[in-house]
Amino acid sequence: MDTEKPSPFADFLFGLFWLVLAVAIMIGSWTMDRLEHLKVSLYTAPGVVPGLLGLALAIMAVLMILRSIRAGALQNARLPELGLQSHWRILTALALCLSFAVVAVGSGLPFWAAAAAFIAVFVFVFRFEELRDQGRLLRGGVLAAAFGLLSGAAIHYVFQELFLVRLP
Amino acid sequence: MFDGLALFGHSLGNFLTPTSVGYALLASLVGMVIGALPGLTATMGVALMTTLTITLQPNQALLILICTYVGAIYGGSRSAILLNIPGTPASAASCLDGHALARQGLAGRAMGIATSGSVLGTWIGMFFLALFTPILGEMALKFGAYEFFWLAVFGVVISGNLTGNDPLKGWIAGFIGLFIAAIGQEGMYAHDRFTFGIHDLSGGIALIPALVGAFGFAEVLTVMKDRPRKAIINSFDSVIPRLSDIFQYWRTIIRSGLIGTGIGIVPGVGEDVAAWSSYAAARRASKEKEKFGKGSVEGLMAAETGDNACVPGAVIPVLTLAVPGSAPAAVLLAAMMIHGVQPGPLIMVQSPQFVYDVVAMMFLATIGILVYGLTLTHLLTKILQVPQTLVMPVIFVLCVVGSFAIASRMFDVYVMLAFGIIGFMLRQFNYPMAPLVLGIVLGDLLDKNLRRGLVLSDGDLTPFFVRPISFILFALVAGTILLNIPSVHHAAVRAWVRVAALFSRGKPAV
Repeated sequence: MDTEKPSPFADFLFGLFWLVLAVAIMIGSWTMDRLEHLKVSLYTAPGVVPGLLGLALAIMAVLMILRSIRAGALQNARLPELGLQSHWRILTALALCLSFAVVAVGSGLPFWAAAAAFIAVFVFVFRFEELRDQGRLLRGGVLAAAFGLLSGAAIHYVFQELFLVRLP
Repeated sequence: MFDGLALFGHSLGNFLTPTSVGYALLASLVGMVIGALPGLTATMGVALMTTLTITLQPNQALLILICTYVGAIYGGSRSAILLNIPGTPASAASCLDGHALARQGLAGRAMGIATSGSVLGTWIGMFFLALFTPILGEMALKFGAYEFFWLAVFGVVISGNLTGNDPLKGWIAGFIGLFIAAIGQEGMYAHDRFTFGIHDLSGGIALIPALVGAFGFAEVLTVMKDRPRKAIINSFDSVIPRLSDIFQYWRTIIRSGLIGTGIGIVPGVGEDVAAWSSYAAARRASKEKEKFGKGSVEGLMAAETGDNACVPGAVIPVLTLAVPGSAPAAVLLAAMMIHGVQPGPLIMVQSPQFVYDVVAMMFLATIGILVYGLTLTHLLTKILQVPQTLVMPVIFVLCVVGSFAIASRMFDVYVMLAFGIIGFMLRQFNYPMAPLVLGIVLGDLLDKNLRRGLVLSDGDLTPFFVRPISFILFALVAGTILLNIPSVHHAAVRAWVRVAALFSRGKPAV
């Protein structure tokens, strides 16, 4: 459980986002086909439940906006700074994961090979600073590649061969 | 009572084959390792194992999942004690006294206490699982559309209220989950809702990929966000549990077991709340309050008994109402459905033996954690020292495999990625994940039963409020929401103090 409290302005922005989403849900539900040509009761129309959920969400979003304004959201309105320097770890992890799942998987490369390459690059990138400081970049690279290959082969063997699960 | 014992004996006998015992031991170990490694949760472990076991026989697959679940909740105590980092959220309360004991050179004793507390907690929960499931199953037969509607609302509201530190955000997460469940073809007329012409969305958002994203990929991102700390573990004493600790704190064990099981039964609340509630209750009742937080054996025993007792407790509503008591139990529910087991009010009518099969699976899991708790301490210590930089990419690959393998379609991998990124962002802003998951699970129940109820009553809302069980559930929902309004909360506290004073006035002064 994360105990750090986000700023009131962040809550205010989230509240606005939820409100827009809720209104979109309500409009989508209202304009949804009511299947009257099938003589469907109004109470069982497909849009009833999502519409009510949208309404509930809108009420909660308004409460969140009001609460954040009372907590001083508008007085301290400041967008968080997004810098490559301070967020490089999360951005790199995200880029590597998306490259593997969206590009490498399904590109025709065998899954074990794609997994091995992803794991090796991931390990090497996140250990780069440490390896460079120790002057062991080459050794670290070889070990990362070996670890990637071993992991890729193990995942392939356990899932596909041992438990007969289809891999992407 | 004796019928139950006979059925349990029969179930246990069925599982005492080399293959099943082997699976149970292996799954308990995998669960322990997953639980011990910070960043890997029981939910993710059970979800990934669901994929791995998809081709196995239902009973063996569910045995593996339950052993993983129990093992993971227990395994979390290792990193809590040795590293002061909870392996799973359930072990957060164990950090306070577990790590304090470790700092005093008593890490072995702390691990022994965790082992005995976890085993006894699971046994207490198992007892109530066997006892309450038939009773609740019979009660659940009286549930109609109105009651099931309120049950779904109650689950989301109570889960949102208890699992985070901001009820409003918990409720928003829960209602987002309910909306996500509405995406795709609805259950009455197969009409597409919010699919925007995307063919793959017609089948809806599958639970397992969503869970793997919210608990797996989101966790990978959360862990990788910050530079990992180096794990430093000092030497420790014997891990063999002391009988004196058990006998001295038997009241704490029973109390925590009851609290853990009770919280487990409440939809979507889960092990972390069970551990903190047991810990708080033990502290209130303790004669050694001053030791809490500084290495209290009683505090650690309470937290570990409470969180493990919650596991069988969380399975009770899964079996009787098809409503999960915790996030890992939601995966278990999905796995049961994948394997053709239909939990719900009819379970005691259609397959009563299955309930005792689950109890036997829990029992085998406790044997697994007992064996490993006493023998594999040094191996687990080594595993804890593996850098997270090595673990996380492997976990992500498993997330991709786990989301793909259920239906063999890449769309589920994209669902996992979307839920991972959304889950990561929501977590950064204090939105709990458990209500979101519960919302996805309960969405269909709410949708069908609200519409069914409205048709039955021809649009009249009265039956939603006047039928006895409906009224109780509605009152619980309304009470939970109203008690979060400060003025109502203060008025309720004042009223409670007055009522308590009325009762204490008659007592003689001590």
